[in-house]
Amino acid sequence: MTTEIAPSAPAAPVAASKKARVPGGTARDVRLLSGLGHLALLVWAIVVIAPLLWIVLGSFKTNTEIFLGGAFSLPASISPDTYIQAWNEANVGRYFLNSLLVVSLSTTGTMLFGAMAAYVLARYSFPGNRAIYYMFVSGLAFPVFLALVPLFLVVNNLGLLNTYTGLILVYIAYSLPFTVFFLAAFFKTLPQSVAEAAMLDGASHTRLFFRIMMPMARPALVSITIFNIIGQWNQYLLPVALMQGENADQKWVLTQGIANINTSAGYQAEWGALFAAVTLSVLPMIVVYAFFQRQIQQGLTAGAVK
Amino acid sequence: MATVTYSKATRIYPGTERPAVDHLDLEIGDGEFLVLVGPSGCGKSTSLRMLAGLEDVDDGSIHIDDRDVTHLPPKSRDIAMVFQNYALYPHMTVYENMAFALKLRKTSKADIDKRVKEAAALLQLEDYLNRKPKALSGGQRQRVAMGRAIVRKPQVFLMDEPLSNLDAKLRVQTRTQIAALQANLGITTVYVTHDQVEAMTMGHRVAVMLDGVLQQVDTPRALYDQPSNVFVAGFMGSPAMNIKTVPVTEGGALFADMTVPLSREQVAAAQADGGDGKVTVGFRPEDCDMVSPTEGGMPVVVELVEDLGSDANVYGHAALNGTNERFVVRTDRRHMPNMGDTIFVKPRPDRHHVFHAVTGNRI
Repeated sequence: MTTEIAPSAPAAPVAASKKARVPGGTARDVRLLSGLGHLALLVWAIVVIAPLLWIVLGSFKTNTEIFLGGAFSLPASISPDTYIQAWNEANVGRYFLNSLLVVSLSTTGTMLFGAMAAYVLARYSFPGNRAIYYMFVSGLAFPVFLALVPLFLVVNNLGLLNTYTGLILVYIAYSLPFTVFFLAAFFKTLPQSVAEAAMLDGASHTRLFFRIMMPMARPALVSITIFNIIGQWNQYLLPVALMQGENADQKWVLTQGIANINTSAGYQAEWGALFAAVTLSVLPMIVVYAFFQRQIQQGLTAGAVK
Repeated sequence: MATVTYSKATRIYPGTERPAVDHLDLEIGDGEFLVLVGPSGCGKSTSLRMLAGLEDVDDGSIHIDDRDVTHLPPKSRDIAMVFQNYALYPHMTVYENMAFALKLRKTSKADIDKRVKEAAALLQLEDYLNRKPKALSGGQRQRVAMGRAIVRKPQVFLMDEPLSNLDAKLRVQTRTQIAALQANLGITTVYVTHDQVEAMTMGHRVAVMLDGVLQQVDTPRALYDQPSNVFVAGFMGSPAMNIKTVPVTEGGALFADMTVPLSREQVAAAQADGGDGKVTVGFRPEDCDMVSPTEGGMPVVVELVEDLGSDANVYGHAALNGTNERFVVRTDRRHMPNMGDTIFVKPRPDRHHVFHAVTGNRI
């Protein structure tokens, strides 16, 4: 969601500097363009922040207030009632913990397997290396919707339908292509001589990977981890397809739980509670961004400048 | 404490025809400081990396003492290496960098601490033990790389151009430090450089390589005084030796009006093996004098004079067999000629080197 701010950010200065090089271009032109750039950023920021604000404000309102009051009007009173209602009655608390469990395990698995695969593909040459690499990367181009039915059948045959194990394995497989693609590019940039020094120092291949190469790849690992946490936390399609059967609603993840409040409630819906649930689900991601903003930026530009 | 023996060791990189290292035969004695020197691409680094186990050996073998290490992985060879770019572990402190190999060997904590502190004292790194490499200067990083090799007390030290990333002054200083350190520790060392000054000043013996082939191994002095072929003669020494191929007569080699006397055997050897009436003669810039026009020197027109403070290099050209050949002469500062002057140059008797015009071998 907020990542999409990034593309428009560099665009403004680039346009400005290009203009500046044109003969006759003046400092005023530059200021104008940079001003326009900032205006574009401002509009984008509003587009992103406004719905968030609407949700947060709405989460403190009653149904009447939401439908009759202005979208951004302040709630009559601030009370945590809607949140308590969402957490307890709509089972958001349970779904929250379910999501936490699934995402923490699947992200750990994704990073472990992804980093290992990327490292070997990037730094060891063996027959079939390129073939395996391109197989991983081709996963990026394959729409998940096309895989849904076969995936369901495979998971069903394995007896993993409606289990966390099944969901976690699918999450890992789903996240590997981009993780491998991104990390392989990064591992390639690490200096060969450091690896050689470690081998001369007596490190085995395994130890070389965990003690030397992984720590050196930290910026890339951090940003791709966050990317995966966010992607898997927001995942809706896969759990809907795979978490069904008896008592499935006990195992739902947060996205399913929230969707359920929405779809089952109809006209009787407690919109305030729904908004509170959405706010709760967005909160961890905002926290992640706030704390790791620097690493995310570092990781995205890592390798660009030595 | 070990000897190193290369026996016909050969490395052919996949996809290339010409070997990067071609049947290298070389014995390095216990405690010896051997320098591998040559122009870039001559195979000196490859030879070193073969000994380290970082390059495959396609043919022949390499022994450390009596142990055949030809196909052993690097970690089983008990060697330590200093890389050109130091290759420090960026996420570890200086202390951890030096302790890493010992930790992998399950050395006791107390012993690790003692050895790291010793090495740090030796290299004046005590104040930097808790710093990460990026907070160190180039010279300090170089010393950490040395320290990482020293703490292991390996059988053999390998150094791959360890001074080439330092500035000129620090390089000279570190050069003497490394030589002294090696003498102190007495560990067999193989040192790769492209800098012939480093080779001359540091090595007990120097091995000169060209195109993957070992040209000559000898003490720096012997290499300088008795180069075994034209390449070694031209490579060692700065400015380089004046080497010209000129017609040969019964009396000697003809440099325009000047004759450099050759022995009867040398003349005979020069004419054998398709010598075609020519011989290659070299003399070092410091092995010739500027004489007066009547003393039979070769006339050289001065193009450039380099005043080095202690002495001066005079560059010029002389007409030899219809072409202008360049010469360089080292002279006393008090007798520096001016640009455009004509000076008369005469090699000192018996200080010239004679090579076969076709094979390039010393005769």
